[in-house]
Amino acid sequence: MKTIDAKTKDLKAVNSALRESVNGVPVKIKNASHLSGLAAGFKHGEIVILGDAGDYVGVLNAGATIKVQKNAANYAADNMTAGTIIIEGNADYGVGQYCYGGTVVVKGNAGDFTATMNKGATIIIAGNVGNEVGTYMLKGDLVIVGDAGENFANYLIRGNVYIGGQWKSIGNNTKIEPLTDEDKAKLKAYFETYGIEADLAKFRKIVAASMKPFYN
Amino acid sequence: MAVIGAFCVSVNKEVCLNARMPGKCATCAEVCPHAVYALDTLTGEMNVVNFNTCVGCRICAEFCPTNAIRINPAEPEYITRYPWTLSAVEEVHYKAQTGEYLLRGFGTTGQTPNFDMITVVPSQIASAAPLDKYREACDLQVVVGEDTCENPVVLKAPFVWAAMSFGALSKEAKLALAIGAAEAGIATNTGEGGLVAEEPWLANGYTDKERTHKKHQGGYLIIQWSTGRWGVSVDYLNSGDAVEVKIGQGAKPGMGGHLLGAKVTEDVSRVRGVPVGSDALSPCRYYDVHTLDDMKHMVAFLRDVTEYKVPIFFKLGPSRPYADVAACIEAGADAISIDGLVGGTGCSPDIVTQGVGIPTIACIPPAVQALKDYGVHRKVKLIALGGIRNGLDAFKAMAMGADAAGFGSAAEVAMGCRVCYACQKGNCPYGITSQKPEMRARLDPIEAGHRLGNFIHACTEEVKILTMLSGHKSIKELSTEDLRAMDLNTAAITGLKLVGYERPLPIWEAMGGNGNGHK
Repeated sequence: MKTIDAKTKDLKAVNSALRESVNGVPVKIKNASHLSGLAAGFKHGEIVILGDAGDYVGVLNAGATIKVQKNAANYAADNMTAGTIIIEGNADYGVGQYCYGGTVVVKGNAGDFTATMNKGATIIIAGNVGNEVGTYMLKGDLVIVGDAGENFANYLIRGNVYIGGQWKSIGNNTKIEPLTDEDKAKLKAYFETYGIEADLAKFRKIVAASMKPFYN
Repeated sequence: MAVIGAFCVSVNKEVCLNARMPGKCATCAEVCPHAVYALDTLTGEMNVVNFNTCVGCRICAEFCPTNAIRINPAEPEYITRYPWTLSAVEEVHYKAQTGEYLLRGFGTTGQTPNFDMITVVPSQIASAAPLDKYREACDLQVVVGEDTCENPVVLKAPFVWAAMSFGALSKEAKLALAIGAAEAGIATNTGEGGLVAEEPWLANGYTDKERTHKKHQGGYLIIQWSTGRWGVSVDYLNSGDAVEVKIGQGAKPGMGGHLLGAKVTEDVSRVRGVPVGSDALSPCRYYDVHTLDDMKHMVAFLRDVTEYKVPIFFKLGPSRPYADVAACIEAGADAISIDGLVGGTGCSPDIVTQGVGIPTIACIPPAVQALKDYGVHRKVKLIALGGIRNGLDAFKAMAMGADAAGFGSAAEVAMGCRVCYACQKGNCPYGITSQKPEMRARLDPIEAGHRLGNFIHACTEEVKILTMLSGHKSIKELSTEDLRAMDLNTAAITGLKLVGYERPLPIWEAMGGNGNGHK
């Protein structure tokens, strides 16, 4: 496995080196927390980030598997369309925003505005999340094992939001439904696949109350 | 509020085919998308039953086989009852009945300071002699990103199509814009609604996806990256010739996009990821940008995923041009479009379109000043948008310091739009802003594309005339000295010299007197 030391290197140098290196073998990167946009727009490959990652890690990911061994800063997995991003620690503000597909897993906690405008990705947070999480979600699954903050799942249009803990307040256009057998099987598979401990019995499902026009 | 009850429909029964032979013609009712007419099934007579719903699109008059229909604005009341005009009264009634604020398409109907109160100063004996438009060359080319990317955009004429999305526009209109851009060697723009599959190769001048047959000289496709991120992926970003970061737009600065459910068809839904029939309301800001540093990082990764090949444009609404343009420069823009309040839209709250933002002529001087202060004027390109109607407006914008001008509403008009301000309804009878198959069938993208190409050709010649009669062989030589303000307001707003006074107003002279003085 090749290791790239990103210390003192800029985004162009590191991502160029990554593009040259990801052909069939996993690549490790160290000392990369100063970079925003690390591993942007990769269509394949396996990338392991040793330590923390900066902002926009894995932005526009289109098929690569990216693992962050510690924490990720803001906007991790932004606008992802395919692939998998796993963050072993916490993720700050806005993980999984604008995603169209793929899977994002945060083993720790995630910040405000997680999964905003999710349009089809599976986003799993093993810990707690901040405020405004799941805002304007249009498709996909958002799974929160812990608690959520204010205005949870606000302006939900479509997709499924699952939560094992409590929320401080829930947003507009939401309704709570019981988990179906299909939901339970799906969540169980998620938890087994990513090694997350969770009590399925505690989970509730939130869906959109209506798809009516909202402008007025 | 220019939609409800603002038009009088009159049918000349002397020539109306139906009036003479009831039941023999129902063309007006068939083409009207707003149910203004209704055929009496018992008598066969055609009646105007919903005169209040007429938006003045005049499709009925155009299709009437005997030219019997006239659509006239309700002018007398508009004049005599101001400010309680018919439309103002109808607006209050609408709100009282529905509890809803008004939405409207196209753009502002209000009077705003504009290019008409600016005149071009020709060359005579005391200045550089005019050049011969018919026999001498004039450089009209604009290059974006020549020092920052592998494949700069080289506009053959100083124009772009303003960003208009698939969804707001029909697929046919989007294709026409691409064809027109290819024919004229300028750039079209995806807008925020994702990519229509044919746009990239049509914009580049090809007639086929494989790019084996080139029909036109070829233009460019600008890929817009916006706050709703509809249809955005790595492949999308790499499918064009530039990326535009949309911050705002002239018709509704501070708000995101509005695409009402009526226009979210299966095709639009597939591109945007919004359920069919559900409103697609883009956020007013980027959820993933909070600071200028974030914006710099965004530009950095956009350059990275496009492999440093294409230039980065920014698009601004009309807010605080000096500071906003300065921020775009710091973020790494290669070109900055600034869209004045006359800029168009597919849909916006009426009050925002009518009353928010500053005019295009007020945007340009501070934007130019910011570029000069950063030492990048004419390097980072400034594109003026918002109410530019012809080569004369474009020339004035460029002499004020812009490098190019953009057409949005004018492009729609070139395709056949009659400016009925009802784009948001999804019933455009000319097939430009409708997603309905029967309306779209009325717009031939090839013919409309050719009309657009013609329009740019004519405007290019206009700019060439004005540039050369001002004594310049290149649009890069234009300056505020080529213009004069014709009234005090315009002189005060723009810093241009006032006709008859022959210098900027004292408030501008105090700031340096160069006509581009304030921050």
